[in-house]
Amino acid sequence: MSEPLRDKLKPNERLRAYAKEEAVDRLPCVPIVGNTAARVIGARVGEFKGNGKLVARAQVAAYRMFGYDNIRIFTDLYTIAEAMGAAVFYPDDETAYLDSPAINDEKDIASLKPADPQKDGNLPQFLEAMKIALDEVGDEVPVTGALTGPFTTSSFLIGAERLARGIITSPEAVHELCSVALESCLNYAKAIIDIGCTPSLTDPMSSGTVISRKQFQTFSFPYLKKLIDYIHGRGKGVTLHICGNTSKIWDLMADAGADCLSIDNEASLADAKRAVGDRVRLMGNVRPSEIMLEGTQADVNQAVRRCVTEAHDSPKGLVVASGCSLPTETPFENIRAMLNAVREIGWPVNTGRG
Amino acid sequence: MVMPDNSDLYRKLSDAVVEMEIDAAGELSREVIANGFDAYEAIDKGLADGMERAGTLFEDEEYFIPELLVCSDAMYAGIDILRPHIKTSGATEKHKVVIGVIQGDTHDIGKNLVKIMLESAGFEVLDLGRDIPPPVFVEKAAESGADVIGISTLMTTTMKGMAQVVELLKGRGERERFKVIVGGGPISQSFADKIGADGYAKNAADAVRLVKAIYEPAAIAV
Repeated sequence: MSEPLRDKLKPNERLRAYAKEEAVDRLPCVPIVGNTAARVIGARVGEFKGNGKLVARAQVAAYRMFGYDNIRIFTDLYTIAEAMGAAVFYPDDETAYLDSPAINDEKDIASLKPADPQKDGNLPQFLEAMKIALDEVGDEVPVTGALTGPFTTSSFLIGAERLARGIITSPEAVHELCSVALESCLNYAKAIIDIGCTPSLTDPMSSGTVISRKQFQTFSFPYLKKLIDYIHGRGKGVTLHICGNTSKIWDLMADAGADCLSIDNEASLADAKRAVGDRVRLMGNVRPSEIMLEGTQADVNQAVRRCVTEAHDSPKGLVVASGCSLPTETPFENIRAMLNAVREIGWPVNTGRG
Repeated sequence: MVMPDNSDLYRKLSDAVVEMEIDAAGELSREVIANGFDAYEAIDKGLADGMERAGTLFEDEEYFIPELLVCSDAMYAGIDILRPHIKTSGATEKHKVVIGVIQGDTHDIGKNLVKIMLESAGFEVLDLGRDIPPPVFVEKAAESGADVIGISTLMTTTMKGMAQVVELLKGRGERERFKVIVGGGPISQSFADKIGADGYAKNAADAVRLVKAIYEPAAIAV
């Protein structure tokens, strides 16, 4: 290729036109860049802790480097749980992980208090990051703040195994826990929307790989729906990501009110299109590890073409994306390759098979 | 007087595990002792059989992680009562497997399920826990006399640690002494091949098949 491919539209223009089914320059594309943003500015991942300015600088720089269609302020899943007392370990240069839950016994659920996003944990710093990114590039690209769902946050509050056992042995305690987690989620969603951003929901423990459809219906859905209802009430759309195989709950994810489902690579975009494509936009689902981290640029190109072939004609549209957040060390060339594949395919969509 | 049928009791033990009845598993185990039945047989044909059935239900997506965990609670409730009564004479040495979650990750449900399923299949499991540095896998395997090292992760960030375990074994000239098996969300057969692991399991039931195949290749090979 002699000329580098360039976008004609800014993300906001592209997404607005795409939503109205007007002509665009290419399909929307979101390689879900998390801590890879640290590499873009030569920072260590551990430096993001409590440093909203640095998170914003990294995420804005990554957006400018690659030109994708959404900035998501995200470093890890534990922000709300941490603000409610869970201990998070921050390695020097890798993604943070849960060190210990906030409580170890169902009896202590009553002691948990909903998080105050203005002062608890690192929530104020994440809000600051969103505000900075919004001020810098919010006129051209959507800026979203990652918000971990009530069920998953509950798992970080009491420990995943204790939560899983509780589903069978003490369902009422699980509901009590999910209720207080929901309060925190609502507080954080309000704070995110108050500064002009949009929450982006992620709820990995609600996965069909972990719990059954019935358990999702009972313990996750009611809380997700309340959260999404609130966000809709503030005039914002909702993207919902649940990891693993979610094919058995796609209809429920749509019933909960999600406008866009981010589909993990463990599930099929073609199946999702048939099941719920007429109700929700789909997003996905290039393999983050096998393809984006380990693959070649040609692998990425091929994977993007597969996604587009499977679901570009989905009635509510497709956002070409990775199936989950990208590993930190994903090569820049592979992220560029994802965008370039979407640019090559262009508009109207031409996967080059004809 | 008619002796109660032990196979009936074993069936009830198995059912108690499948039905997640923790108290019943305990009571039935006490009944085994009271009747003078063989404790090892009660575990093998009762509790472990129930756990194997639960594992099948898990693979068939009838059961999920919550059910499997509570089934294992029922199994262990029974084992705790029966274990002191196992006659050690003539008991065969169990094959030992060292497992753990690699450094940088604390997601351990998957690893714990593998441990449960391996134990119920008759293997001895040395559980190192979570967030385990690569050298610890090697040291613990060597000193415990294990033959298999099982490494789990849910995080892509920690996958290189798995490769380090293989490299460390090579460095010590002990690569052939152990079989290294890997599993977890981001892991695939191709990744296992790439780092030179001996096998990949996609879930806990698959891990049991894999370990059995390592020990009894003839029994598995078609």
